[in-house]
Amino acid sequence: MMYFRRSVFIALFWYLHSIVKSSLSIAGSCFATLPYLLRIGESRKEVTDGYPDPISSKTADDLPPRSRGLLFNDIERCTGCGDCEHVCPAGCIEVASEPGAHDSRIWVSVFDVDFSRCVFCGLCVDICQPMSLVHTRQYEGAAYQLEDLVASFGRGQVTEEQREKWHLARQRLSAPQEGA
Amino acid sequence: MNWVFLWLRALGFSATVPGIPLIALACISLFVILPSCALIAYLDRKLSADLQARVGPCRTGYRGMLQPVADCVKLLQKNSMHSQTLGELLWMLLHTMALYASLAAIPLGSLAMMVDTQMSVFIPFWSALVLALGTMLLGLGQYTTPGWLGGIRTAAQSLAGTFPSLIGILCVGMHAGSFRWSALAASQGFLHWTMFAHPFLLLAFVVFVGGGLVLLAIAPLDGGLAMSDIHGGVAVHVTGRQLALFQFGRFYGFFIWSVMTVVLFMGAWRIPESLRSWFLALDAEVCISVVELTWLLLKTYVLMLFILWIARANPRARVDQITDFSWGVLGPLALVALVGTAFWTMV
Repeated sequence: MMYFRRSVFIALFWYLHSIVKSSLSIAGSCFATLPYLLRIGESRKEVTDGYPDPISSKTADDLPPRSRGLLFNDIERCTGCGDCEHVCPAGCIEVASEPGAHDSRIWVSVFDVDFSRCVFCGLCVDICQPMSLVHTRQYEGAAYQLEDLVASFGRGQVTEEQREKWHLARQRLSAPQEGA
Repeated sequence: MNWVFLWLRALGFSATVPGIPLIALACISLFVILPSCALIAYLDRKLSADLQARVGPCRTGYRGMLQPVADCVKLLQKNSMHSQTLGELLWMLLHTMALYASLAAIPLGSLAMMVDTQMSVFIPFWSALVLALGTMLLGLGQYTTPGWLGGIRTAAQSLAGTFPSLIGILCVGMHAGSFRWSALAASQGFLHWTMFAHPFLLLAFVVFVGGGLVLLAIAPLDGGLAMSDIHGGVAVHVTGRQLALFQFGRFYGFFIWSVMTVVLFMGAWRIPESLRSWFLALDAEVCISVVELTWLLLKTYVLMLFILWIARANPRARVDQITDFSWGVLGPLALVALVGTAFWTMV
């Protein structure tokens, strides 16, 4: 508090000064909202939009072009690199992958997106190199159980004998190259 | 004589029927307080949406006008999440007491007063204090951290707000020479308001309104119920029907404080004298009471919307800032207003 300086009068001046200053500040922010209330000029339009459903007579097609709906991963194109997992600020993506039958084929066994933690920031979609991870235009993902909010796009766990088979297949494919 | 009695007599009831005061109270509650609550709740949501470039309620009825009704119905059909504690029962009792005990003393026009005593002003004031006490007890009875903090904050705020607003009342009492509603109204005219009588009374007006906001924890000075830092404080564990009653109690405090402010400072229910004598010549007492009530409520709504405008355009104050503001700014200003009014009245 800067009230108590040299003399009573200076203290009184600063006291009144702070009262007037804060009153002006409050009045200033009040008047700053007036153009929005009266719909003047640039402040005319609302920044929010009605929820797309029959009552507002809007559909998913009326969503803004860059709207970010639920995530979808095209597992055929996914390389399982895990960039999305690393960039996710909410930590809601879980990726596990291993070599497939060929060196160029990666088996993405787990690709889980936990929508109960997802913040729909879109960083994962931005960073996705093969562009397999996309936002759909689906926006209604309510569920009765928390587990139901986890979307699994993975190909499933590999059994031990399958893994052995792929290992042999890869060796068979690379053997002629070694020979040459 | 009461306007409700007038209407009841017009409908063929005798004013001597036992229980008529109760009917009158129910009428005031049903036809004045509840519609006001719905109206202000709707306007608050819609206008704050406009101020913040949002859409606001738009589903229920034309432009969302039935939203308060929908909210109320939704709350009424919800069950309480937990069994009631003793503190909550005590709070319910206090809230209900405050809601209905002061109804009789609300000034709603020259013909609309059931109780007008030498200390009328202090009856709604007491009601506001009881509301604050009930909110504090509710918070302390919850045995949760937000509840406790909210209860303690409510106690600190109501203590801080009482002092300046009480002195604000004293200023007007000194100016009008009485605390009687009728005397307070008689000291003002249609556009001859107490708050413009001299600068000290304008100061007293500001102090009284500010003190009331602190006392009743109304936005923007609602630190005891802050959503951001204590998750709604006292209101955090109140659900369903209790929440409906709680919100109604909070609105009632705001409403009654605004009515008090209008009667004390803003020309009460006074309509132009010529209009009044014209109605009297027509022997239309009901018309007088209706016009007076409309004029009073109109001013009340404007005042409430003005406060809501400030609340929606400014960030919520921290609870220590609120008590600092009340003790450090409103308190001294109230004393200045009191001394100034005393000198002005003497000279």
